Amino acid sequence: MKAHDVVIHEADATRIDAVLQRFLGDSSSAAALLIDRSGQPLAETGTARTLDIGSIGALAAAAFSSTAALAQLLGESEFSVLFHEGVRESMHVSTVDEQTILLAIFDERTTIGMVRLFAREASRAIGVILEETRKRPKRVGALAAPLTADEARRASDHRPA
Amino acid sequence: MSIINYAAKVINFKVVYYGPGLAGKTANLQYIHRCLPETSKGKMVSLATGDDRTLFFDFLPVSALGVRGFTTRFQLYTVPGQTHYNMTRKLVLRGVDGVVFVADSQWARLRENVESLRNLDENLKEYGLALAAMPYVVQYNKRDLGPVAPLDYLEYLLNRGARRVPSFEAVAVDGTGVFDTLNTVSRMILVKEFGQAQEAHS
Repeated sequence: MKAHDVVIHEADATRIDAVLQRFLGDSSSAAALLIDRSGQPLAETGTARTLDIGSIGALAAAAFSSTAALAQLLGESEFSVLFHEGVRESMHVSTVDEQTILLAIFDERTTIGMVRLFAREASRAIGVILEETRKRPKRVGALAAPLTADEARRASDHRPA
Repeated sequence: MSIINYAAKVINFKVVYYGPGLAGKTANLQYIHRCLPETSKGKMVSLATGDDRTLFFDFLPVSALGVRGFTTRFQLYTVPGQTHYNMTRKLVLRGVDGVVFVADSQWARLRENVESLRNLDENLKEYGLALAAMPYVVQYNKRDLGPVAPLDYLEYLLNRGARRVPSFEAVAVDGTGVFDTLNTVSRMILVKEFGQAQEAHS
């Protein structure tokens, strides 16, 4: 399956954030992260802003995709929910659409049932927004004109300290 | 696949280091992680076996100076090189924007290189991608070990597809060729994504 580029504009980011905020309020979760299945974080809210979301995105997407591969070995199309229970905090990962997953971190102030219920609702709303973002042109605004050789060099120049 | 976030002013790309087992993919990321300043790198995550062989992947996010007010972030991944981990290799390739093929230059490892390259091509096809059409560089690693195959022979074996791609000699453990490889694939990804303006010649 071919992956599609995602282009999130300011207005999309505001709409996604509103859905995630509502999800946090309704489900009493501590943090919510929207992650592309390639491992790249798309949005986050709640205490997620203080976490290492790059690593969490990579690891959660990997866990989810290996679980999906396991499901296929068992003849299922995929397992749509992944749940990790900790002593204080737990994690719920669920499908938004073919390319995106929603990760929620919660503690004893709520239950897995509540998180699951509201994650499903939030996923539907986010899925609609993301569908629109995938149709957007990439090269607009500041990125409309092709890069000069110098810009391309600077934006790809990693240099040892 | 790239992710452009106009709200956060960030452009994300995914780069995968591919190649046979023990070719030095993890060594590339470890050197980059060791040498980049704190402000340009995130935490390196390695999912490895007890004897330090990559089990799932290594992950290292790095960022360059950026362009037109946007930060350019490159998420670097390695795959497990061992033949029997093909399922996990395929999973890591999901959404890849650019590939570094790390070859082991030693004569004794030439067959593994060819097999790994063929495997890369097959796995990319499952995502509707083709090496010939994507940002891609080859790194001939372990040039300090012996006996190693001459460069032209390696090029003949591993870099004779529809187009010749940039290639680098490297000794990843001491950093030789590591940043040349990373910067070249990063630049190719950016140019593919946003195009490159024709320079005016006087």
